[in-house]
Amino acid sequence: MFEPDRTYARRDTALFLLCVALSLGALFSPESWQTAIANGVRRSALAPLLALQELAEESRTSRFRIDALIAERDSAAAAAQALPLIKAENEQLRLILGLARRLPTPSVPAEVLHQALPTDGRTMLLSAGRRSGVAPFQPVVAPEGLLGLIRTAGSRTSIAMSWAHPEFRASALTEDGSVFGIVAATESSSESEPMLELRGVPYRDTVEAGTRVITSGLGGVYPRGIPIGTVVGIARESEGWERTYLVLPAAHPGRASHVLVLRVPAVWPADSAPSEDSLP
Amino acid sequence: MMPRTSRLRFALVIALLVALHFYVRPRLWSPRIAPDFLMLGLMIFAIRSTPGAAAVAGLVTGFVTDALTPARFGAAMLAHTVVGYGAAWGRAVFFADNLLVNAGFIGVGVWLRDLLVLVASGAGGRELLVQLGIWSPLLALTTALAGVIVLGFFRDWLEIRLEE
Repeated sequence: MFEPDRTYARRDTALFLLCVALSLGALFSPESWQTAIANGVRRSALAPLLALQELAEESRTSRFRIDALIAERDSAAAAAQALPLIKAENEQLRLILGLARRLPTPSVPAEVLHQALPTDGRTMLLSAGRRSGVAPFQPVVAPEGLLGLIRTAGSRTSIAMSWAHPEFRASALTEDGSVFGIVAATESSSESEPMLELRGVPYRDTVEAGTRVITSGLGGVYPRGIPIGTVVGIARESEGWERTYLVLPAAHPGRASHVLVLRVPAVWPADSAPSEDSLP
Repeated sequence: MMPRTSRLRFALVIALLVALHFYVRPRLWSPRIAPDFLMLGLMIFAIRSTPGAAAVAGLVTGFVTDALTPARFGAAMLAHTVVGYGAAWGRAVFFADNLLVNAGFIGVGVWLRDLLVLVASGAGGRELLVQLGIWSPLLALTTALAGVIVLGFFRDWLEIRLEE
């Protein structure tokens, strides 16, 4: 009488253990395998569903953000009024100093396809991929500032690693150009919301609260001048050696809906460019 | 074994939930608290199937979720498998055929899934507490509410006995 139930129970337990083993296998498999599998699934089985979500995101963006977009457009129009004068001055100064023309930074617009997991925000699924010119290592920015960089690019979608990811790093400096450091997500876990840290600031340098931090342009990934955040105080210090400052991020990956992927000109010779595998 | 019509109806409800997840969810409030229809589909599946089948469904749901949010690939697979299996066992052993109990059951499943994903992804400290104390309960609540609507509306199709 109990045999069929026992058989079912055994089969259920065996299936459960098999599923757990497969999950653990996926968890500890090499990252290149994980990337290949995830890209393959997004490109094939999930492609129609992602197209559906992209449609919904575009619709939501156009419906709910119209006021914000109008305000942003007005601000941009006001700022652009002084642009011809500044451009002319810049050209003159460049001529005097013998500098070449500044290289333009083309960009690719993309929607952020948010997911339900609590780890959404550490990585972001973007609606643009290789077909639009997106490639690994390209910076991802929101109107407010830096969000992260492209980690992997599929044909129609790509995965960006945001600044909230524990492996994110960017070379940064204060807006006045006096202090350099490395920006990364907070280590201490004492903040309720993910924050950034400006690390490696020499002990002799002091950064006041309220100072804006921007990308330094060193390292060849992020162009100089992208806003990262604002210093809010000292996170910790190694006596006589260095200070680490807490930085309030300018852009939040959890709230971003529309981003730009900057197609920064490669600074590496073609044969020495880093491969996708060299990403953290 | 379910009759063919019943299986077809169940598949239609699951397909509807998948469509809601990808087409309606992005339009609802903040992505942090909009109902997780994929998780809801898994919980409904777990309520009416064997633990082994629920574990496999959890693995598949987690695989899809991991492909879309690869912060820590495999974390969602593990979490959904454990929650799916546990939900099917729990439903068989503990729970009455009551709509609100089922809603609570769905909410607890969502919260537990979030806990497992965060732990497997290495989150800790205050970030973990805030996520599990504020955002996950809100997500669990909205998902449970969506569950009440779906279970109430499709109770005949899903063949889930609910007290009047």
